[in-house]
Amino acid sequence: MMTNRGRDDAAEVVIVGAGASGTVAADALSAAGFKVACLEQGGWSNTADYLSAEPEAELSWLGKWNPDQNARRRAADYPVTGQAEVRPLMYNGVGGGLVQWAGMWHPLLPSDFRVRSLDGVADDWPIGWNDLAPFYQRATRDMSVSGLTGDPAFPELDYPNPPVPIGKVGMAAARGMDKMGWHWWPGSNAISARARHNLQACQRRGTCIIGCPENAKANGLLTHWPRALDNGVRLITEARVTEIPLDAQGRARGAAYVDREGTERLQPGEVVILAANGIGTSRLLLLSASSLHPDGLANSSGLVGKRLMQHPYQTVTAVLEEGIESWRGPWGQNIYSLEFAETRPENDFVRGSKWNACPRGGPLFALFDHLTDRGGEEFDRVWGESFHRASDDIFGHSFSWGIQTEDLPEERNRVTLDRETTDASGLPAARIEYRISDNTRRMLEFNMARAGEAAEAAGAAEIIVGEVWPSGIGHNLGTARMGDDPASSVVDRWCRTHDVPNLFITDGSVFVTAGSVNPTATIMANTLRAVERMIGARREQETS
Amino acid sequence: MTSPLTDVQRRTLDELADTLIPAAAGKPSASQAGVSGELLDRTLAAVPAWTEPLRGILDEAAGRPADRFVRELRTDKPEEFAVLSLAAAGAYFLNPRVRELIGYPGQEAHPLSLAASPAYVENGMLERVCERYPGYRP
Repeated sequence: MMTNRGRDDAAEVVIVGAGASGTVAADALSAAGFKVACLEQGGWSNTADYLSAEPEAELSWLGKWNPDQNARRRAADYPVTGQAEVRPLMYNGVGGGLVQWAGMWHPLLPSDFRVRSLDGVADDWPIGWNDLAPFYQRATRDMSVSGLTGDPAFPELDYPNPPVPIGKVGMAAARGMDKMGWHWWPGSNAISARARHNLQACQRRGTCIIGCPENAKANGLLTHWPRALDNGVRLITEARVTEIPLDAQGRARGAAYVDREGTERLQPGEVVILAANGIGTSRLLLLSASSLHPDGLANSSGLVGKRLMQHPYQTVTAVLEEGIESWRGPWGQNIYSLEFAETRPENDFVRGSKWNACPRGGPLFALFDHLTDRGGEEFDRVWGESFHRASDDIFGHSFSWGIQTEDLPEERNRVTLDRETTDASGLPAARIEYRISDNTRRMLEFNMARAGEAAEAAGAAEIIVGEVWPSGIGHNLGTARMGDDPASSVVDRWCRTHDVPNLFITDGSVFVTAGSVNPTATIMANTLRAVERMIGARREQETS
Repeated sequence: MTSPLTDVQRRTLDELADTLIPAAAGKPSASQAGVSGELLDRTLAAVPAWTEPLRGILDEAAGRPADRFVRELRTDKPEEFAVLSLAAAGAYFLNPRVRELIGYPGQEAHPLSLAASPAYVENGMLERVCERYPGYRP
């Protein structure tokens, strides 16, 4: 039974992280009357800080709004080190990764929950599509998603907004898929096609990932936090959590943190929810090692930090003769394809990929791969007079198929602590080891070849084949997996850690497998599911 | 405000940037577009992390043949070359005349027009997807 109601500073529920998951948890718990405190190591983002409406918009992607925390170098970010073929990206601040996400919105496919049963690899989830279905629907409404109901590639999902126009980019890509006879569908994006709740209508500015100045892209800052704060949630920003301390009975008693002045504090709480993403949550559990939990908190399985999945990503760019206004948004996905999302017996790999057709942005974005020599071109084929040829041919005339692959969980791909490198508060950095598996390599090779065919069918005069994005796409999943067996999982099916009865994890860490689609819909839906259960079982909940 | 580069460094940048972006195809060269002046200041204000490495590159390049220096930099120090080349291209694309010549209006707002029935519905493309897709694995 929860009893902290009378104390000024104590909370019934302490949430660590105000990103996609923490936002949903804070909103739902406070709406149910819980006294909630949320600790966020970053601060608020302000629309006025975006350079998206300025000529320098594209440059800001390489500066203040660089998606790579190591390049962005804000005090709120912590360093991510290590040897990794794909490096994790994240944004630390209210809204979390949603501040810089592209808004692509997908439920996992039903088969994604049964990978072991269907394909003999990895593990099944302890839950299935139907367990998440009502929560997918709620999250889709809460995020004002724009999309077209009826995609035959997954069970029905209703969107509160019609799809944003697919534009000339989407029509060009769809033309190719139509010729190939492959699946495609108008893009589903958490980008509001109409003014709805706190969101304005999309203006197709095309700067989704560097900040939407129109406030059309859904983000917890707009969709959830105003309501959660009205409900009385105490949101403490610039609060870097250093440890989850335990009481004498081994239960979490809150979160220890360093405030903006550098003072060490304790936020007491009866229940603690970790929602700090697939890197931050395992880093914090490892930082919370004690004599009772020498290998890290909630780590009796030894799996905390392991099985990191990131959706290795590669692009094929189609350069067309015709102009297709490819700087225009949303960006977002204009269309997507799940043609190759399921295992096919004729392939030499299992599982699959999701494709998204995207615009190419202004000239610096459009030429970026070309200019940065990812293809190893000769100097004179890129620079000199060739620079102008490329800007005439590629800019405004191209779209990309992004190939997002399902990487399977492997224990060698993991998060540990780097005690040689520290953040602004002196805490060890997160160290990443990540290698792309042979299965994923074969999957990428197959899909890149098919995407080349789709580009050719769309009428491409030139096709630019990119390399695997070394900086990843910010999908940090699987490092505290869900399962029924405490020996082989970190949390149970309700996201409660097996080892600490009042400690929950609700972010992407709990994914058992990654699927191939974008994870935010599942992170939010699963958080809602876990929190609804927590609310319903409040009388039975063991607390500190 | 302190200028991020000296006059000598700016002159060196003009020489190097013209190797990367010469006048051709009806477009101005980098120096003609003014990449070493106010456009560069705006570029470095947007990407402050480039300032220090760019100074180092320009000091090293001073007095050396620009074409050879740039080619060797690309081969020997690709990270430094990326700073130089992206700063030059970034500043170049800030020039309003260049934008006009390449047909780029900037990342402008363009209010949505939600068609009652999009072309992909009218022309049957989407219906064909529904007809041919075998369905998901339950």
